[in-house]
This record gives sequence, C-alpha cells and structure tokens, in this order.
Amino acid sequence: MSKNGPDPRAILDLDRVVHEPARLAILTVLASAEEVSFLFVQRVTGLSKGNLSSHTQKLEGAGYLETVKAFQGRIPVTSFRITEDGRAALRAYHQQLRALLPKEGKP
Amino acid sequence: MTTTDLDSLAALTRDYAAFQSRKSGLATALGGFMAVVLVIAALSPNFMGVHVLNRLLVEFLVWIPLLWLVAKEIIGHLVYRGLGPVRALTDVTYERRRWGWILGFSLFLLAVLLSALYAFASSLLVAHQPHAALQPPPMWILVMPFLYLLAMPWGIRGIEEARAYVVLVGQCILWLIPFFLFSFGPPTPPMKTGWGLFGDVLGVSILVLIYTVLIWGALAMVRGWKEHREYLAILRALPREP
Repeated sequence: MSKNGPDPRAILDLDRVVHEPARLAILTVLASAEEVSFLFVQRVTGLSKGNLSSHTQKLEGAGYLETVKAFQGRIPVTSFRITEDGRAALRAYHQQLRALLPKEGKP
Repeated sequence: MTTTDLDSLAALTRDYAAFQSRKSGLATALGGFMAVVLVIAALSPNFMGVHVLNRLLVEFLVWIPLLWLVAKEIIGHLVYRGLGPVRALTDVTYERRRWGWILGFSLFLLAVLLSALYAFASSLLVAHQPHAALQPPPMWILVMPFLYLLAMPWGIRGIEEARAYVVLVGQCILWLIPFFLFSFGPPTPPMKTGWGLFGDVLGVSILVLIYTVLIWGALAMVRGWKEHREYLAILRALPREP
C-alpha cells in the first residue's frame, strides 16, 4: 500500500482462479457448508451444467475443491467440498479486495 | 458480483443446509402433534364413554417415537432434499447449547420416572409383603441411570444427529413405562401406602411433565410450520433454472 492509498498494481496480485465471478460464487457457496451437491451449486449460482463442470475442474486443478462421488441407492450423486487451501484463498481474496476498494464516502 | 450477492449466496446455502441438520420443518410440526395426542390419549382412558387406553393403543403409543423418526426421514427426503444433500458446517455453540437442553430435560425425565417406578415398586412390595420375601431396592440404585446418562454424550460422540435421537427416543420409551405399569398392574394397586411426601412431589412432577410436553408440542407445531415457510422462501429466492 502506498502513502496516498492502495497500490494500484496490487490488483494484479489478485488470485485469478478466485477472481472469476462464477468461481467466486462457487467457492462462496462451498465455504458456507461442509459438503454441497452439484445440483444445489448449479441452482444457487444459476450456472449451466457444462459451465459448472468446467469451473469446478479449474478449482479442483488449483487444489481449492474436492469432488466427492457417491451413490444414493442406484442414483449417482456428485458433491463438492472446499479444501483448506480453497478457504485460505477465498479469505485472502476478500482481504485483498477490501484493501483495494476505496473507503466509504471517498470516491 | 457484489458482496451483497455473495452474502445472500452464503446465507441461502447455510439456510438450505440447516434443513438437513437441525431443522425438520413439517416433521417438527408432526412431532409436536404426536406428542400432544400421546399425552391426551394417556390422560383420557375413557374418552366420551369409550375405553380408549386399551392394551393395543398403549402398544401403538410406544412405537410413536420410532414412527416419528421414520416419518421425519421420509419427509426430509421428499420435501427438503430436492436439490441434493448439503452437509452443514458444525456450529459448536449451538451444539453445546443443544446438548445442555437435552441433558437437562433428560435428567428431569429420569428423576420423574425413577420416582414413579420406585414408589410403585415399593408400594407393590409393601402390599404383597406377607406373601413375598422381597424388599424395596436400596436408594443408591436410583443413581445408576444418571451415571449412564452423564456418560452418554462421550459414548455416542461422532454419530452426528443420531445421538440426539438416541436420547430423545430413549426418553420417550422410558416415559411410557409408568403408563404400562399403571395400566396393567394389579387391579387395585395400593396407591395410598408408603407414598406420603414422596407421592406429593411425584404428583407435582408428573403435572409439570404433562404441561411441559403439551406446551412443547404446541410450540413445535408452530415452529415446524414456520420452518416450512422458511424453506419455501429459500426455494423462491433461488435463481430460475438455466
């Protein structure tokens, strides 16, 4: 942070995996529960199945979430669980963003 | 995406998950209704001239807590899991408070039950003294169930919700034991021998218990319906399917 406010270059340090709105929404949902079904994440974020799969693969690749596959009777149920790294990344992202945003009342 | 959007996403997830852990909606209302029916049926052995409390009904009443558990699971699956399973985060403060209530209530119920059973057994033995060489049990035996109850939270730790059910269902079944004893004991139990102050305390305790269950049942019906409306509000707040 510079003397006159936040360093404008700090915005480049934001975690781009988390910064994407759909992935930010997914991580926010996952951080609010222990384990969340694919269907619920899809409905609550309003994403299509394909979009959700693609974003969760990216998050899984970054080590921010785990996919859990189980069966309820004969029906396969896919769920997601946020990892400790995922929680830490989300927390760090919120802190960085808060530091970058202007204080209330200031333009 | 604004922070308000993110907050509401988090709140929706938490609220939905609550219906798979601590909220039961219509099942809570049903539980309250069943509790009220249970008490009224037990208190009205002759309802409008009909002998309601026969052996068949008492046997059915014993199964009510288990029937409620089955109904709760079915309602949970049919009504509150339409969007798949969501496991809630563990709320330590809530868990601790809930266990405080459950243990307090269990201790109270056990005290009432044990008093009833002890008084009944003692009076029965006094009445049959000439024919039986039995003696009333020593008082320290009454402490044993309390020890069991105090150790239970550690014994069944990690079974998630099942532990609450184990306690509550156990209590309900235990609670019905005196009804069995009083219903099918000797035709004229010697109720007036050996009760004294013990009997007065017991009477007041049973009265308090009856009112507690009736008030709890009524509150559960209101709360269950309120929770169900909350669930409908969650569904309305979700975005339309893509």
